[in-house]
Order: sequence, then structure tokens, then C-alpha cells
Amino acid sequence: MAHLIEKTVEREPTPSRSDGQPMEPVSPRQEAGWIGRLRDWIEERTGIFAFAKHHLDEPMPPGVGWWQTLGNLLLTLLIFQFITGFALAMFYAPTPDHAHESVRYIMEEVPLGAFIRGLHHWGSSFIILVVILHILRVFFWGSYKKPRELTWLVGVAIFQVMMAFAFTGYLLIWDQKAYWATVVGTRFASTVPVIGDWLMHFLRGGEEVGALTLTRFYAIHIMLLPVVLVLLTAAHLYLVRRLHIAGPVVPQKGKPQPFYPYQLFRDAVVVMVGVGALVTCALLFKPALYPVADPSGTNFTPRPEWYFLGLYELLKLMPPKLEILGTVVIPGLVALGMILLPWLDRSPSRHPARRMWVIEAGLIVIFLIGTLTLKGILSEHPMPPATSSAVSSTASLPQ
Amino acid sequence: MSNNGFEHNDDQPNAVLRRRVLGWLVGVINLAVLGGIVAPVLGFISSPANWRQRRKEWIPVLDESRLRPGETLSVNYQVPIQDGYTNAQRKYSVYLYRRLDGSVVAFDPSCPHLGCRVEFRERKQRYICPCHGGVFDADGNLVSGPPPTGLTKLPVRVDAGKIWIRRV
Repeated sequence: MAHLIEKTVEREPTPSRSDGQPMEPVSPRQEAGWIGRLRDWIEERTGIFAFAKHHLDEPMPPGVGWWQTLGNLLLTLLIFQFITGFALAMFYAPTPDHAHESVRYIMEEVPLGAFIRGLHHWGSSFIILVVILHILRVFFWGSYKKPRELTWLVGVAIFQVMMAFAFTGYLLIWDQKAYWATVVGTRFASTVPVIGDWLMHFLRGGEEVGALTLTRFYAIHIMLLPVVLVLLTAAHLYLVRRLHIAGPVVPQKGKPQPFYPYQLFRDAVVVMVGVGALVTCALLFKPALYPVADPSGTNFTPRPEWYFLGLYELLKLMPPKLEILGTVVIPGLVALGMILLPWLDRSPSRHPARRMWVIEAGLIVIFLIGTLTLKGILSEHPMPPATSSAVSSTASLPQ
Repeated sequence: MSNNGFEHNDDQPNAVLRRRVLGWLVGVINLAVLGGIVAPVLGFISSPANWRQRRKEWIPVLDESRLRPGETLSVNYQVPIQDGYTNAQRKYSVYLYRRLDGSVVAFDPSCPHLGCRVEFRERKQRYICPCHGGVFDADGNLVSGPPPTGLTKLPVRVDAGKIWIRRV
């Protein structure tokens, strides 16, 4: 790996290490004692201490600071999701008969249950928020440019995986909000030409949202997506370390500083603040649990989480028969634009003033998504609860 | 090019060809192994996409006498369905509307836009979709909003004093 890490960036030579010899074996300790001997024994077999030292000594270009701490915060929040998700899975049952009841049990009867679920619930919102900030930082700093195109691409894939996490996690609660959000979300697939209906049935595990939808989403949420996310995150970190951190747009004067302890201290402060805010949220605001999923249910206005509100509002604006614009085409174009960004932006400079059209296009997209999301937030209750005086009667068909 | 300091004995007869054939075989075997697991798993997990749960028989949902001319009622009913591994009594609802001429119309309450359940506002005589704002008149026709069509009409008949519908 050493020879890979030492490759320099084509246009942005990064400061070289003072020793010039990365990952040289850490010399055996001279001092006696069993700890020293154990350390040497491990080092001889794994090289782990040299590896750690190499990465902790990574030189940070001058100007790298607080904005570069978001990745570390994100990693910490992801680890929190893994831990709380693992804990919740021990008390949760993914069946229509038991899912809602098991969530209620977690919330009301298991000690610390409401807090653990709160961490997982609010953690997803925190992650989406920090991911967005992280993406914006990379966008405005132009850090996606050569040679970091693949780092950006893997990051975009991670963002998509996180949205998939949010969508599949939603249903597991099996309350009214979960049920109707999934009915609408999977219905998106049916607007795809030709294979739409098949795709919707594939996602649902049948014609309707039911037992197999729940097991499907559960399997995807706790098995498939975590594995994909770990692989993508590993690739992202590998690329970040191989290509070094991009540094400020305009190179600044000064001496590079090693990652440890200078940048890692900033990371630790931001992680502490972020995790503190998350814990506070989980303590103060219990996540909602609406009535159990009911396909015949009335008096419930389904609304997605805040990060899907922009899409929700966009769908209201689409003319009849053109809903595919809102469900597939426009979200697809935004995703495609993100994927192709490093190649759409041909300017060799990372400076925002020298790639104005990209910055302007980005600002317009950010403004539109922000406006739609804000509109969604402000129209919290678009209409009063249904007051239909219609009489309901219940009839059933014998088995 | 040497890897890890290893030198291939390319001077031996057929060494290059043998290496190429073996490498090719490794690729073929790996593809076969991958296909051996991916193909059956894809078939397994995609099988429910072709299942049909909806029952097509006529279902009695309401005594005919309970629906007056000009009135719209939301009626809940249950149907036994095979829901994956379980037999479930699934709750549904249907809107029944008796026109002034006495005929009965049944509407699927799921919005033709993206499937939210529409609500009937008796005072305005309008169906409103709470999700994306679709509006339909009492006869199910689209008035405004993003839905592509009016409400889906279900087959309905009146027989033996009951209103019967069929799910489509």
C-alpha cells in the first residue's frame, strides 16, 4: 500500500512527509517489559502500528480546518446507526402482526428503548443533514476534480445508499405513516414505462404492501445496505487517503500539519458537538408512533420525513399524466448531474469564480430543492382532518 | 512484468499459452460459480412479483337500503387474502355513491396518482387526495391536481338487498 499512498497528485502536489519514508517499520522497543514485547510481537506480524502511525502523520495542507471534519462526524454517526440498529433488531419482529407491537414494546416497556430508538430515528436525519453539508463543501471547494472523480462518485453512491436506508427503514415501524409512505414510494416504480408494474410488484413482494414487503425491506435494511455501505465507505476512505485531502481552493501559506493531533482534535470537537446534539434530541423528543398500518384507514394525512418533502412538493406541481417527470425524470436528472459533475465541469480550476456556470447551476438546484422543502415544511397541515359524516359499515367475505 | 519479484518461465514451450488458458478457465469457473448463486437467488426473490393476491369474486359490502339517493358512504370490508406466508383478513374500504337516478357507483379510494387514500368531503361533494392535492367530483371525475385520471370505478351490482362489488 505504501507505494500507492506515496503517489503524488498530478496538479496538486501535497506536502511530503519529513521522513520521506512512509510506513517504515516501527523500530522494536528498547525498553523491556511484557507490554513492549507484546507490541513488538503484534507489529512484527501485522505492521499495524506502522500503518496507524503513517496515517496519523498524514500531512494536512495549510488551510484545512473545520470544514474537513464533516466526514469524520458522518463516520461516527454511521457507527451509531449500526450499533443502535443492531440493538433494536434484538427486540423487533418484522411481521404485520407484530412489527407495530414490537416497536411499541421497545418504546414503552424496554428500559432505554425510547432513547435507543430515538438515537436511531434522529440519527438518520442527522446523517442526511451532515451528508448534505459534506456534499456542499466538496461542491463549492471543487474537490471532485481530477484526480478525485472516483472519490466523488463513491460519495454520490453512499448518498444514494443512505436515502435507500431511510426509505426501507421507514416501513419497519408498520404504523400509518410507514404504510402510506411505502404505498406512495413503491408506486413511484409503477410510473416507469413498460416494466413499471412488474418493478412495483417486485419491490412490494406482491400486488400490495404487506407481509412480504416488510420482510423484504427488513432484509434490505439490515443485510444488503449495510454491506454495500461498508464497502463503499471503505473505498471512499481509501481514495481520500490515497489521493490526500484536497486543501483550500487557493493554496495558503504555512507549514503542513500532521493529521494527528491537530486535525483529529478538530474532528473530535465536531464529533462531540454532533453526538451531543443527537443525544439531546433523542432524550427530548420521542419519535412518533402512529396507529398501526391500516389499508382502509381514514383520517390520516401521509407526509414523508423532511428530506423527502422537496420531492413530495414537486409531485404536487406535476401536470396530469406527467407524474413520471416528478417520480423518475427530475430526480433521475439530479442524480445523473451529480454522477457526471466531475466531467461536466471542464474547468481545470477549482476556484468558484473560474467555473461560474457550474456554481450557478448548483445554486439554482439547491435553491429549488430548498424552496420546495421549505414549502413542504410550512404546509405542515395542508387541510383540516377529514370530517366526512359518511357512515362506515363492515362486511366480510367468508373464507 | 514481474510481480512480487516472480519471474514467469516464458522461455519454456507453451508456457504463455498454458498460462492464458488457465487464466481464462479461472474466469469461466468464477463466472459459473457466481451465476450458480445469483441466478437462483434472483429467481427466488423476484417470484412474488408475479403473484396475484386480489380476489376477483363479488363481495357483499352493504345493505342496499342504507344508501340513499345522492349519498356517498365510505364502507369498510374484509377479504381473506394470502399475504406472503400468512392467511390474513385484510381490511379495505370502498366509496359507494347512489346517484339521483338510483344507480350505484363504487370507487376505489386509492388515488390514481400515487395511491394515497382519497377523502370525501360531504359539504363540498368532492374527493380530495391529502397527499398531492388531487380533487375529484362526487361522480369520480378529475377536477384538478396531478392525478392522470378520475377515480377508479369498481364493478358493482345490487342483488338480494345487498350492494356487491368486485376488486379489480
